[in-house]
Amino acid sequence: MTISGAFEPHTGGEVETYAAYLVGHRAVLAAKCADLTPGEPTARSMPPSDLSLLGLVRHLARVEHYWFRMVIDEHLDQPRLDDDDPTGGFHRVEPTLESVAEAFSRWQEQIEYADACLGRLGDTDLGSPRRTRHGDEASVRDVLVHLVEEYARHNGHADLLREAIDGRTD
Amino acid sequence: MESSELATYRNYLGHFRRTLERQCADLSPDQLATRAASPSTLSLLGLVRHMALVEQIWFRRALQGLTDEPKLFSDDADRDHEFNGFAGTAAEVEEAFAAWHDQIAQADTWLDTQDDGAMADQVIYNSDGGKSSKRGILVHLIEEYARHCGHADLLRERIDGRTDL
Repeated sequence: MTISGAFEPHTGGEVETYAAYLVGHRAVLAAKCADLTPGEPTARSMPPSDLSLLGLVRHLARVEHYWFRMVIDEHLDQPRLDDDDPTGGFHRVEPTLESVAEAFSRWQEQIEYADACLGRLGDTDLGSPRRTRHGDEASVRDVLVHLVEEYARHNGHADLLREAIDGRTD
Repeated sequence: MESSELATYRNYLGHFRRTLERQCADLSPDQLATRAASPSTLSLLGLVRHMALVEQIWFRRALQGLTDEPKLFSDDADRDHEFNGFAGTAAEVEEAFAAWHDQIAQADTWLDTQDDGAMADQVIYNSDGGKSSKRGILVHLIEEYARHCGHADLLRERIDGRTDL
């Protein structure tokens, strides 16, 4: 019953370690959404929270796009994904096959971009400063650790959303 | 901007310890002990007990090799004892927070002895001889806290609607 990410040992350098945790959390979110009917991933199954599994997928596509493309690769001139939606894409989901497929294909597209970006980064790049769209400065390291913890926190949401749908905690 | 490696980890670790503290603030022992996200058996008090144990397992046992200390809130008869083994009394709440705060203080004392150069050090982290870098363990602690703070987000919202924590 206990939900806890199993510890996977990492022995390598920094970028390798952050990338491994990021890959692990993407896989957890994908697994939390697997084997459901189209209506189930859009269910707000932990009311009064308005979160849904598919809303999380859509949100994390936006998160990957922002941090990898706009911040690390310095394309702050681009609009954020779902910026025209007041909920940042969280509610832009419908219980249809098309909506589910669209959210996953957008997420996958951003993951592919992110992985190419990660592939260009070495440990010596981690102290380099980047600008956020609010004008703050963050190191590349700070951005990558943030991505790991943001995914992890949302996977905590996904744990309880999924358990409420069909009891699955694994 | 935190640019050094260890400072970045300490920054995020501190952030999530404070987040869980806020998520538990201004609640009664009953509210802390309630399984508010049924069918999940998680509760905020269970999470605090769990994080006390997690801090002990990683900082005391894995990173410092202090494996003789009895594990906090553990019982061989129930591997989820930290989540299950309480009634929700004020004394249990006080005990859980005291143990958690004590582990945090001890962890911080150890972290003060570390530097960026030590992050690649490999440690044996379990009795099977498994190896990890200190870096791998500290990033794990961050993501484990973050995931449990995600659980706490929904637990707290279901208790009193608070989401701004």
